[in-house]
Amino acid sequence: MAAPAAARALRAVPRIRPLPVPDATRHLHTTPACLKTRAARVRVGKGDKPVSYEKAHAPHYIAHRKGWLSLHTGNLAGEAGAAERAVEDAFLRRFLYGTFPGALADEAVLKRRGNLLVICAVLARGLAPAKLYFLVGYAETLLAHFYKCPVRLELQTVPAKVVYKYL
Amino acid sequence: QDPTAAHYMFQDDPFLMPRNAANSRLFSLSKESGRNAAKYIIKQFPQYFDKTFAEPNIPCLMPETLVPQIEGVSEEALKERIHLRRVKDSVDLFDQLVQAGTPVSLETTNSLLDLLCFYGDGESTPETEEEEKEDLEESGVNASEQKAPKRQFQRGSQTSGSRWRENNNAERIFKIMPERNAHSYCTMIRGMVKHGASAKAYDMYIDLLNERHKADVHTFNALITAVPYLKERFIERWELAKVFLNHMAQQEVQPNLLTFNALLKTLRRCGGVGRSMSLLVIKEMEALDIEPSLATYDHLLFIFYRSVDLYPSGIISEVLDDVEKRSFTPQDPDDDVLSVMFVSFKILTRLLQCCDLKDIKLAYRLNKAMEKGDNWKFLDMDRLNAYWSKFFSLLCMMEQIDVVLKWYKEMSPSLFYPTPKNILDLLQALDAANHLEVIPSVWEDMKQLGFNRRQELLEEVLSLMSRDQHPDEIQLAFAKCAEDIKAVYEQTGREQVPLEWTGSALSNVALLFSRAGRTQDAWNMMERFQQINRIPTDQVMNEFLNCAKQTNCPDEAIKLVKLAASLGLPSSQRLKSRTEKEFELSEKQK
Repeated sequence: MAAPAAARALRAVPRIRPLPVPDATRHLHTTPACLKTRAARVRVGKGDKPVSYEKAHAPHYIAHRKGWLSLHTGNLAGEAGAAERAVEDAFLRRFLYGTFPGALADEAVLKRRGNLLVICAVLARGLAPAKLYFLVGYAETLLAHFYKCPVRLELQTVPAKVVYKYL
Repeated sequence: QDPTAAHYMFQDDPFLMPRNAANSRLFSLSKESGRNAAKYIIKQFPQYFDKTFAEPNIPCLMPETLVPQIEGVSEEALKERIHLRRVKDSVDLFDQLVQAGTPVSLETTNSLLDLLCFYGDGESTPETEEEEKEDLEESGVNASEQKAPKRQFQRGSQTSGSRWRENNNAERIFKIMPERNAHSYCTMIRGMVKHGASAKAYDMYIDLLNERHKADVHTFNALITAVPYLKERFIERWELAKVFLNHMAQQEVQPNLLTFNALLKTLRRCGGVGRSMSLLVIKEMEALDIEPSLATYDHLLFIFYRSVDLYPSGIISEVLDDVEKRSFTPQDPDDDVLSVMFVSFKILTRLLQCCDLKDIKLAYRLNKAMEKGDNWKFLDMDRLNAYWSKFFSLLCMMEQIDVVLKWYKEMSPSLFYPTPKNILDLLQALDAANHLEVIPSVWEDMKQLGFNRRQELLEEVLSLMSRDQHPDEIQLAFAKCAEDIKAVYEQTGREQVPLEWTGSALSNVALLFSRAGRTQDAWNMMERFQQINRIPTDQVMNEFLNCAKQTNCPDEAIKLVKLAASLGLPSSQRLKSRTEKEFELSEKQK
């Protein structure tokens, strides 16, 4: 009598299907390693390496001791285009590095206001002012035609690279 | 407006801010050439710049498509090339079409003629296509943006680039045209006048009349402009212009503003006849209800105020009244607020010789008129600088010194960069108002403007500083200036030619040093007199002795006496006696 009762009980309870057991094989880790503890940090050396304020601070100081180098609304909730802005930024930095050879004293700050792109760069005084103005006119027009938006270059010149400390 | 900032086209940085007019021009031109370089790159590689991802699409940031799309020998292809302004290609295509026997419509031929006459049909030597295109584009740009330069009115139509050659493409095509209408003749006439073949234009006009066509108003304007090149004497020129005007009336062509401006431009070169006739022209304009433009006023003022010894007439006030009341839009290529202003200022400065005090008020009114409404569209950097410098000269001459200084502080370096003449005027004004203590700050400005090697300015500054005795702190400031100037004179080792000391400069510097009590420096100056073969004046030597007495240096006094004796000066005896009297000298020194 117990067996049919047990069978009835068993039939009443919903049968749980066993999960498939994964293949017990070993895989190779093929993605590159992300060295998060070494990103954007200048390692301490003998004390002869001049380092600017920007470089001297690690990324966890952003919003505490550092500001942002690129300001746009792409990362706000509900806004699109963050990836495009990142690609544009990369291109712009390389473009500036090449157009002002040896003159860039620090990283350029890119600000986007609506359609306008403002590039704020700090330059050393190596080139004559007339040559700098030539490069400014060239860069502004070329970038405006490339990105189809008005581009303004705002420069500040310093006598030499501003050193925050020596590492 | 920020009085310390430069024009907004410059970067706001002390290294990149222009300090004088030459720099400001250089920087603005280099920025513009950078833009041209970028445009060249965009034109060479349009494939990298033609993605349209902006919403809405911005056409001015896209590369221009100048490549004609339609290939093959057909009339549409010709029309397209004309539209794209490719002169050589269109002429070649036209020749091909004619040889193939395809009839080209009158309209297309006329538009081809328009193109050729506008661009003046460039070079005949076979150059590479790019060079030709660039040349054509340059001549096109020159032609469309041409403003007749106000001083070189002789150059007139010759400034539009190339000259009209014999039997060039336009004439050739004109001759082989099976039928011509009025438009063809008119285009040819306008092209010929534009590129300097005035006699031919006149012949073409006679042909037009023989064919019993009617010319349009633009042709008449061109013909009137060409009158000074057709006739030499003033009366003949006026007669010929009247002939054209009569024809215009006969053919019932309404004159417009450009007609009257062309007439006035011709009258500019008609001397005395011009003066009497120009008023009639203005009355005619008013009768026809055509509002005069700025070019009209420019021509008028030029006609009336050409030579110096003219009676002051009230024309300039009337012109100013009109200029103030209305706001102007550019209607004529010669329209230029600044040239009106310029001419007005030149007249004002001349009228100042009559010491007419009303004139400074006119200058202020002019200034206000310039800032009003749409007039800023006429302004241009170089002309602005010249305008402001004339304004400032006028101010220096007429106004009180504190007004002058107020304007000076406000205007430079933001609005204009003072020219050397302005600095001279300013110094004279300071002199007249006995405000000489401002001179050290003016000297600082001079250094910044790059005028510190100008001989006449240096002499002026030195003579003003050393003329009278001043209270002590001013004297010290003056002595410091003198030291700077001395350094300028002694600058060696640069590419510039070193400045030569003049006698007056040297004596002034010595005087200033003596008065400030700097005996050693003064003595250095005295030694230089021999180097330049000049003799110090008595005043200098007396001042030096005073200084030596004040600072109690009998050695210096003796050195001075020795110098005077060696130079053989008549005053050496007097100096010697004075030295003996005033100083307590030991036996050896005697």
